[in-house]
Amino acid sequence: MLLAHPPAASAQGFDWKQASGTTIHVSLNQHPYAEAIIKHLPAFKDMTGIDVQYEITPEENYFDKVTTALSSSSGNPDVFMTGIYQMWDYASAKRMEPLDQFLNNPAMTSPDYNTSDIFEGVFNGGKWDLKPGSPSGTGTLYSLPLGFEMYSLGYNKKYFDSKGIEVPKTFGDLVALSKKLKGWNGPGSYGIAVRGTRNWATIHPGYMSVFTNAGAKDFSIKDGKLVSELAEPVSVDITKQYATMIRDGGPPGWSNYTWYQCGADFGAGKAAMLLDADSLGYFTAAPGAAKESSNLAFAPIPVLKEGTEPTPNQWVWQLGMNSSSKDKKAAWLFIQYFTGPDHVKWAALNAKLVDPPRQSAWAQPEFKQKLSAIPGFYETFQAQIKNTSVKFTPQPFFIQSTTEWAAALQKIVLSGADPDKTMKDLSKRIDKDTSKLKLN
Amino acid sequence: MNDTKTNGPKILEAIGRNGLLLCYALFALFPLLWMLILSFKPDSEMFGSPFVFHPTLDNFRAVLGQSDFLGALVHNLVISVLAVCLSLIVGVPAAYALARFQFKGREDIAFTFLSFRFAPEILVIIPLYLIYQKLGLIDSYTGLIWVYQLISLPLLIWILRGFFEDISPDIESAAQLDGYTWWQVFFKVLLPLIRPGLVAAALLCFIFCWNSFTFALQLGGGRTQTSTVAMMRFLASDTVHYGWVAAAALISALPEVILAILIQKHLVRGLSFGAVKG
Repeated sequence: MLLAHPPAASAQGFDWKQASGTTIHVSLNQHPYAEAIIKHLPAFKDMTGIDVQYEITPEENYFDKVTTALSSSSGNPDVFMTGIYQMWDYASAKRMEPLDQFLNNPAMTSPDYNTSDIFEGVFNGGKWDLKPGSPSGTGTLYSLPLGFEMYSLGYNKKYFDSKGIEVPKTFGDLVALSKKLKGWNGPGSYGIAVRGTRNWATIHPGYMSVFTNAGAKDFSIKDGKLVSELAEPVSVDITKQYATMIRDGGPPGWSNYTWYQCGADFGAGKAAMLLDADSLGYFTAAPGAAKESSNLAFAPIPVLKEGTEPTPNQWVWQLGMNSSSKDKKAAWLFIQYFTGPDHVKWAALNAKLVDPPRQSAWAQPEFKQKLSAIPGFYETFQAQIKNTSVKFTPQPFFIQSTTEWAAALQKIVLSGADPDKTMKDLSKRIDKDTSKLKLN
Repeated sequence: MNDTKTNGPKILEAIGRNGLLLCYALFALFPLLWMLILSFKPDSEMFGSPFVFHPTLDNFRAVLGQSDFLGALVHNLVISVLAVCLSLIVGVPAAYALARFQFKGREDIAFTFLSFRFAPEILVIIPLYLIYQKLGLIDSYTGLIWVYQLISLPLLIWILRGFFEDISPDIESAAQLDGYTWWQVFFKVLLPLIRPGLVAAALLCFIFCWNSFTFALQLGGGRTQTSTVAMMRFLASDTVHYGWVAAAALISALPEVILAILIQKHLVRGLSFGAVKG
């Protein structure tokens, strides 16, 4: 049974009214996870007495707006949606308030707020000690998860079944199958949709997931410096394989492909497979969302060696607090409420919170039933969650280095540049930036 | 016989010239045609055949009925019209002064106005944001109308300055000799003379303000969201409505097109006036 309203999140003795009468400003990205918050605002007001003025910004420009607002140190917004990579940037610039002081204070946090209920890799995405090179999950907590996404393989089940094609389990099989499926559904159709713009968003989904699975990594610390590992043989080799997959079986206009084009082609029956976020697959496979919606299914991301486990990267939508906020208590109550177990459970069942960050939400039989409409989605999640985490090394040049990385990938795919030389040049350029970083 | 001989190449030349112009017109108008097609295509047929589909008004219904796009359109209209009006009030006298009066630093001031158009908007947005925060102008009509002066004022001043310079000072002297006061000369003689330029400059300013995105995004908000920002909301993580975006873009282009048609007579004269003067 789906609930029309969330259950009251009230633990005995915890004072949800402690900031009653205040008004906070919240900056939201246009996203189904934000829609779940908006639907739930009247219940939040009833429980806390806090007024929320929210602003919703289109996703394409959301971070431009948040960056400007945080840079102004005006305290508006008090709370904002962020992602892990942006959090590294904002926290390094002291724009984000550490949240441990609130989380560990029994007067500020309800005993119901159970952090061990949050998937470990997802929770750790909000922590960092601000030391370049230190892994995500160490140090201070800056943000808490609203929802997340992991990377998986979507495929056109109807076509696969009709032709007796097996879902690829290894990356080598995926590369070969992508090539084979060129023209599978008429002229213009192709094997696999992956992102390709000169942007960090090209690196972090499927590419980073298989890159990690191959045993490659982005950085290591050598002689007290953060050094790029992108020119290492293992990095070059997996990049070569990935480039081959795009050249032989990717979309014709690959270098213009973003989230939107990948989802649209997969749903329209142009792409036979999709290597991207599970939530993108879910939205595309929702009944009536696209021509092929009812024919789509999902499987774990192929691994480099058969028998090993997939290692997907993740993207987490989080809530963070502006360090200049003038109503930190109210801001914390907002974060606590909307990342708490009751809202997450409610949003998983009643809104489009596809990947709730809490295990209790996944344990609901109704939620499992809801997901069972899309073949393989729930099973893929269960198979992958254990190894899902941020695969990048936190450092403040993340956006620059991954944008350069995407440009190098484009060069290899589009102009046939020598992968060894291109990755070596890329590595040198990245080292130039990161060598300036103090690691302690 | 001789006529046919001389007319033959001329006809061929005319056919060739018009053929080239037709090709160029098709090339230039194709994006508009494509947008028109998309706006009538249902989501389910968006990626099928480009020209064969079942036309629907659903995209327009959704944009105008199910979203707050109409409100954004009204915001954009109010802000752009008032911004252009303010520019006219401030810019026309400024252009006249820069054209007519000799004073120290005249060219420097004129260049300063022009320099407002040099830097990309994103470069100045953080200081502007800080100032606006302090003054409480974020997400207000006043704030956006004010900041749009950076877009419209330099354009208006520099276009009209040329028009004022082209009018002989003797005309003003003659009118004053006939008994006109300076204000009467300005309103009854000069303004009618520069009307084509005024109309053309005002329309260009309106188009630039109407299409502005960065200022509207960064300094606007829920209460003042313009159509340029609002239409981006049709591209979301869960739903990509290209048909809605096309319908919204088409609706958004309408005021500019209607305005251009209404003042076409002045526009042609205004835009070509400077080009033929020696």
